Amino acid sequence: MSLRRNSPQAARNARLGRTLLVAYGFMLPLLVVKVVYTFWPIVFGIYLAFTDYNIISPPKWVGLRNFAELFGLGVFAGRGPDPDFWYGLTNSLKYLLVMPIIQIFSVALAMLVNRQIPAIGLFRTAYYVPVVTSFAVVGLMWGWMYNAFGPINFILTRLHLMNPANPSSLLTNPTTALLALMFVTLWKGIGYYMVLYLAGLQSIDRNLEEAALMDGANRAQVFWNITLPGLRPVILVCSLLSTISAIKVFDEIFVMTGGGPAGSTYTAMFFVYSAAFQNFRYGYAAAAGLVVAVVSLLFGMVNFRLTRGGNTQ
Amino acid sequence: MVLTRDPQLEAIRARKRTRALLSNLLVYAVLVAVAVISIYPFLWTFMTSLETKGGVFEFPPRLLPQAPSWRNYAAVLELVPIARQFLNSLIISFFGVSLSVLFCTLAAYPLAKMRFPGRNFVFYAILATLVLPNEAGLIVNYVTTAKLGLLKPELGVAGQFAAIILPTLPSTVGLFLIRQAYLSVPTELLEAARMDGASELLVWRRVMLPLAMPTIAAFSILQFVAIWNSFLWPVIILRDRELYPLAAGLLDLAGTFATNTRAVSAGAVIQVIPILIIFFIFQRYFMRGLEGAVKG
Repeated sequence: MSLRRNSPQAARNARLGRTLLVAYGFMLPLLVVKVVYTFWPIVFGIYLAFTDYNIISPPKWVGLRNFAELFGLGVFAGRGPDPDFWYGLTNSLKYLLVMPIIQIFSVALAMLVNRQIPAIGLFRTAYYVPVVTSFAVVGLMWGWMYNAFGPINFILTRLHLMNPANPSSLLTNPTTALLALMFVTLWKGIGYYMVLYLAGLQSIDRNLEEAALMDGANRAQVFWNITLPGLRPVILVCSLLSTISAIKVFDEIFVMTGGGPAGSTYTAMFFVYSAAFQNFRYGYAAAAGLVVAVVSLLFGMVNFRLTRGGNTQ
Repeated sequence: MVLTRDPQLEAIRARKRTRALLSNLLVYAVLVAVAVISIYPFLWTFMTSLETKGGVFEFPPRLLPQAPSWRNYAAVLELVPIARQFLNSLIISFFGVSLSVLFCTLAAYPLAKMRFPGRNFVFYAILATLVLPNEAGLIVNYVTTAKLGLLKPELGVAGQFAAIILPTLPSTVGLFLIRQAYLSVPTELLEAARMDGASELLVWRRVMLPLAMPTIAAFSILQFVAIWNSFLWPVIILRDRELYPLAAGLLDLAGTFATNTRAVSAGAVIQVIPILIIFFIFQRYFMRGLEGAVKG
């Protein structure tokens, strides 16, 4: 016994065992909750997508039936694809338009606030206030801004874009409702990305830019050849985040239009939500959620490729 | 230093100064314009909550209230149990923030400073979940919460609050930020403490925690904002409207008293104020926390 304990191998094993115990001990509380509330939903959600489930009775395996219903295949061939789902997915994809706009504006804003001038901190703070505001409040405030007689319409009537005698809310017009919501997403998100880009800008070597300017490069050349490549890692992260959040957009719609008017702001996640919590078809909702997840991962990958592209050397 | 009074040089300097001044003016003009767009909806809401006279919506919108009073605040306090909801929000945020700080500071220690099999797997598996559209998890999480029995009436308030808080605890962002902070703690410090016979728990408490304090503060604020503002999960989970946090209660109020814009705007102000106060006091930490996420 004592001989074995003294052997270096056994000592190493004992040490490893202790380290494992300590390491996983430290991680235990987080891991348990993480497994229950993050990893289990992934596994169980994928399983549910192949079942019929209403919470009351146990899930019933239906194979690919839910997907067949979504895509209008097999037994559902006669009925065609679920129109609500495709309508929602189309609107979610339209929402992707927000992504490049928000990125361009927040890079521009970050460059604007990345200078040592009086009161600049005050402006940065002002731009960040919408970010820390709940969507519950944002939705209400913008509902009022977009009111038929609200401030937005006042501006529109002044610009002769709307008849002051008979103004109507942009949110009640099916052609403008989605755009109006996109503007709110932009308004709320821009400060967040601005701070991330600001951090990115501050990590770029100032001397590099100054040297280039000394060598006779103009501002545009410096921006394209030094600033933008320096920001590439941040652009990658930010555009990935905003692509995924555009496809799964939900909160803005939930609090502002509820999918209306005439379904014009009904998005994919709204479909998932109502399939689950209004129609109690949890299996069908999970299948739709899985399709949305795959679509957003695909767009995430495309986005990853695009932002890395041009960096081939 | 010899100061030459070369008139030509002076002229160039003057021109440069004017140009710098002009470009700064232009910058300020843009900054102010964007700030107005960012802040105006808040100002409008605040003004409306104080106004007691005239129509709510008018062309042109009024900038200052004609007859300011706190009457709308009194009205909203009578319409809904705002005080109760405020308390609910405080309880949920307090336990949510302190427990997630505890979980993340504990779990980040071995991930940053110990070598053991499975370390990278655990870390990257957790990190990967950041990319997943987690709203889809709402369905399963609802089922899980029901199955765990947290919503059973006999568990009462504690069970329902636990149901709200639990999913927010294992924050991936928190784990990531705090691990980054731990990584920069010199290993010699840990070795020295261990040599003195300190247990790992003591090393964690006496060395790691104090040195990671700025990051922990930043994460606490991020987490407080997230929990205070969340409404969807509480709305899904809670059957008991008495237990609604402010953000959820506000939606309820807006749905029931949609026509009473002034009372609703007062409710909105009450929801926003605590966040703004916390944000203004701790914004330096807040920004640093976000920056850390990028630099890491």
